[in-house]
Amino acid sequence: MTIHNLYIFSRRGTLLYYGEWNRLNKSGITKEEEAKLMYGMLFSIKSFVNKISPLDSKEGFQYYKTSKYTLHYLETPSGLKFVLNTDNGAQNVRELLQQLYSQVYLQYVVKNPLAQMNEPIQSELFKLKVDELMKKSPIYLCRSL
Amino acid sequence: MKPQLAESKPNPVGSGEADECLFEYLHAEIVNYVMTTTTSNKEGEEELSKLEWMGFGVGYRVIERLTREWSRFKDELDMIKFICTDFWSSLYQKQIDNLKTNHHGTYMLQDNAFRLLVHIGAKDSKQYLRECPKLLAFTCGLLRGSLANLGIVSIVKAEISSLPSCKFHIEVQRV
Repeated sequence: MTIHNLYIFSRRGTLLYYGEWNRLNKSGITKEEEAKLMYGMLFSIKSFVNKISPLDSKEGFQYYKTSKYTLHYLETPSGLKFVLNTDNGAQNVRELLQQLYSQVYLQYVVKNPLAQMNEPIQSELFKLKVDELMKKSPIYLCRSL
Repeated sequence: MKPQLAESKPNPVGSGEADECLFEYLHAEIVNYVMTTTTSNKEGEEELSKLEWMGFGVGYRVIERLTREWSRFKDELDMIKFICTDFWSSLYQKQIDNLKTNHHGTYMLQDNAFRLLVHIGAKDSKQYLRECPKLLAFTCGLLRGSLANLGIVSIVKAEISSLPSCKFHIEVQRV
């Protein structure tokens, strides 16, 4: 199991944070463009899922899977969006994303008076803690690729 | 200087998470507000003293509430010990980690994970070091105010060597 990369978007679609661990295939476009594409796609999927769902869904869009990887999506009531790409075998990613939100984002961004809300995250401590959390998680266990 | 109080045990607190962060957010906003309203002068000394003065007022009042079930203190060191243990844990959910004194009115209180700094910088991180004094001014005043109401006139200074630990130096003014 491995974790590929992580995007955090604000309510308005600004890329707050991008982290990368085992990513073999580069998109070939700049990070900003990639983030825009990613956000656009998520936005579309979200509204698509909401429209097409035959039942009243509570959570809405949660993840999609291709033959190679799975994209996990967590949106908080405040509109923050956490996107994590893992391989297909990963379990309990939702829990990990919840932890990322409550133990890292809340602690080191919201509670940091020197960090601006809804702006790309600069705090080194935050980066450190994200890395720590990911590497601690059993999902991270990367095989030599 | 010799260490007086090396160990501290985590203090169980009954208050919920909301009570704790309310103070943190309010403190952050007060700091931002004070720093942005008067940005005309160069060093920001005046703003710091404004924050310090607010802390003084709060400390002066809060000590009445915190000592209401205490008998009188034996001496100055006793008061400082009270500050390090009960006072600190009711305000910052932990005790002071280290207290040193030269027994001539100088005290050094060290907190290895000061609550207003733990969310800001990692160990040995230099990133926000420059902005830190404004986050400590209020607490300096808090200490000075509470000591003042206990009858100790003092000067309190803060020093950060590496985040998130910081030291408060208390110099008692003898008259």
